[in-house]
Amino acid sequence: MAEVTLRAITKSFGDVKIIKGVDLAIADGEFCVFVGPSGCGKSTLLRMIAGLEDITSGSLSIGAKEMADVEPSDRGVAMVFQSYALYPHMTVKDNISFGLRMTGHKLADIEPRLQRAAEMLQLTHLLDRKPSQLSGGQRQRVAIGRAIVREPQVFLFDEPLSNLDAALRVQMRTEIGKLHHDLGATMIYVTHDQVEAMTMADKIVVLNGGVIEQVGSPLELYHRPRNLFVAGFIGSPKMNFIPGTASPGGDGRIQVTLKDGTIVVLEGHGRTVAAGQPVTLGIRPEHLAPGEGGLKATVKLAEYLGSETMFYAALADGSEIAVKADGLAKAAIGSTLDIGLNPVACHLFDANGVAIIHGDLTR
Amino acid sequence: MFPKPIQKSAPWLQASYKLLLPLALFIWLLPLIGIAVTSVRPSSDLAAGNYFGWPSRFAGVENYTAVFTNSNIGWYILNSFKVTIPTVIGAVGLSCLTGFALAVYKFRLNLAVFFMFVAGNFVPFQILAIPVRNLTIHLGLYDTITGLVLFHVAFQTGFCTLFMRNFIKALPFALIESARVEGVNEWKIFRHIVLPLMRPAIAALAVLIFTFVWNDYFWATIMAQSADVRPVTAGMNELKGQWKVAWELITAASIVAALPPVAMFFLMQKHFIAGLTLGATKG
Repeated sequence: MAEVTLRAITKSFGDVKIIKGVDLAIADGEFCVFVGPSGCGKSTLLRMIAGLEDITSGSLSIGAKEMADVEPSDRGVAMVFQSYALYPHMTVKDNISFGLRMTGHKLADIEPRLQRAAEMLQLTHLLDRKPSQLSGGQRQRVAIGRAIVREPQVFLFDEPLSNLDAALRVQMRTEIGKLHHDLGATMIYVTHDQVEAMTMADKIVVLNGGVIEQVGSPLELYHRPRNLFVAGFIGSPKMNFIPGTASPGGDGRIQVTLKDGTIVVLEGHGRTVAAGQPVTLGIRPEHLAPGEGGLKATVKLAEYLGSETMFYAALADGSEIAVKADGLAKAAIGSTLDIGLNPVACHLFDANGVAIIHGDLTR
Repeated sequence: MFPKPIQKSAPWLQASYKLLLPLALFIWLLPLIGIAVTSVRPSSDLAAGNYFGWPSRFAGVENYTAVFTNSNIGWYILNSFKVTIPTVIGAVGLSCLTGFALAVYKFRLNLAVFFMFVAGNFVPFQILAIPVRNLTIHLGLYDTITGLVLFHVAFQTGFCTLFMRNFIKALPFALIESARVEGVNEWKIFRHIVLPLMRPAIAALAVLIFTFVWNDYFWATIMAQSADVRPVTAGMNELKGQWKVAWELITAASIVAALPPVAMFFLMQKHFIAGLTLGATKG
């Protein structure tokens, strides 16, 4: 079984701390995505699991075996690089079988593995080509094939789709998902693209500045972000944040006064606030609807996408707000838009950015 | 488009371009042309003072034959090969290894070692002439081909290492990491991944070092005495003649001696293909 466990892992380059203590358990067969902005340490963490970077402190185990002093090749992992890292002077066939040939596997053993991987990735007709004769998507498939033939316990993907164009990215996304389903191996996938994370993951790990902000399933992160960072990072378009103050509203409710004077009353779900406590109200653009009262905002920009219309508007106090409306909605730039907000979908964060109330629509 | 194609510029510019380019080429090649023409000149022309004019008759065959019959030039050319080929193999081979080590491995003295290789290039080798001569005498390597080869390798490896290290540094490091994750050992990574990708660098360096060592006169005269060891650059001296300088023979010998580096260049040319790493990484 290939569960991956990280305990109090840190990493420093000289005096610079990149990973500041990460604890994480990834179950066998799980598809786990590390997501976060550039420089958050997600790739470094993956490379530490691969054994390409030393662990400064903490412990890492794969399948219950301690890995800190184990060579990359003995960890039972295979890695797919963002740059594909194909050997340019070898054919696809040689690229895929290189690792096996160099580690003393018999030809009779290599050939069936090669054929199986090639079939799985539809590379059979390309086996004699050189990487320079392949398209980006094909190259990426070869890189994945090279990982498959090793029959690893854990697959590591380092932003594998970043170099592909949008259409191909969507296609490869589903292919990797299918691969995970077929192989049933543990997969750890690094991306900065939250859409990739949401669509592929069993478990998402949101990293920021070398620490884990939150771990959870895609929907859990969407509905119950633990803090402002996760709330802002997960979901597209981004969640609106409106500053205001909160005070107890009686009956277990919380009354939030936004900066422009609008009052929103939220269900407290057992949480309380001090009177006049500064808070941030979070509401996703898709949970706002133009037309029926509540907030008043001036339209600054409208994007008509057909399936939906995005309005970017400013409240009376100048705070910006994005609204995702029906594809047929129309509003002239400069006109005033009445925006209704669903109190159930509102998130509330305290001055430190920690969530007080989750706008969890599933409850 | 930059630069602007010459076909698109004003007619007077086009005309002057067509006029000046061959002229510049001619001036540039003048010394070579001079040598080539002198090598087919009969010696009577030179005695009569016809240095730069048209040769009175074509004496190429007799001059070039004389070069081989009047001197041991064939032997000297063989010596040159005996010195140059092992030097090229030694210097390029060693620098592939040193370059790989310096480019791929992180160790504390990496930069210090690298700078030592680079700094060695800044020492003018003339000031080393006497110490090197003494050293070779003590080692019993004076006036031997082995001695010449060893010292050429020692002097060339510094530059070659600089060249190779920078070339390997420019290869995508993910190739090496990827092989490491696959469990390929370091020697096999070098042998099967890095070395094949270094082909253009190896070809370029081989030509460079071949030409440089072949044309070397300094060490050839300092470290070789006997005719058994003397390379062609030093051996050509023999054609000087006792009372007069036989320019027609010396120029002919020079051209003969210059042929191997030229041949080497054309031989290696097809390996200079740029973009060998194309398709390795994102495209």
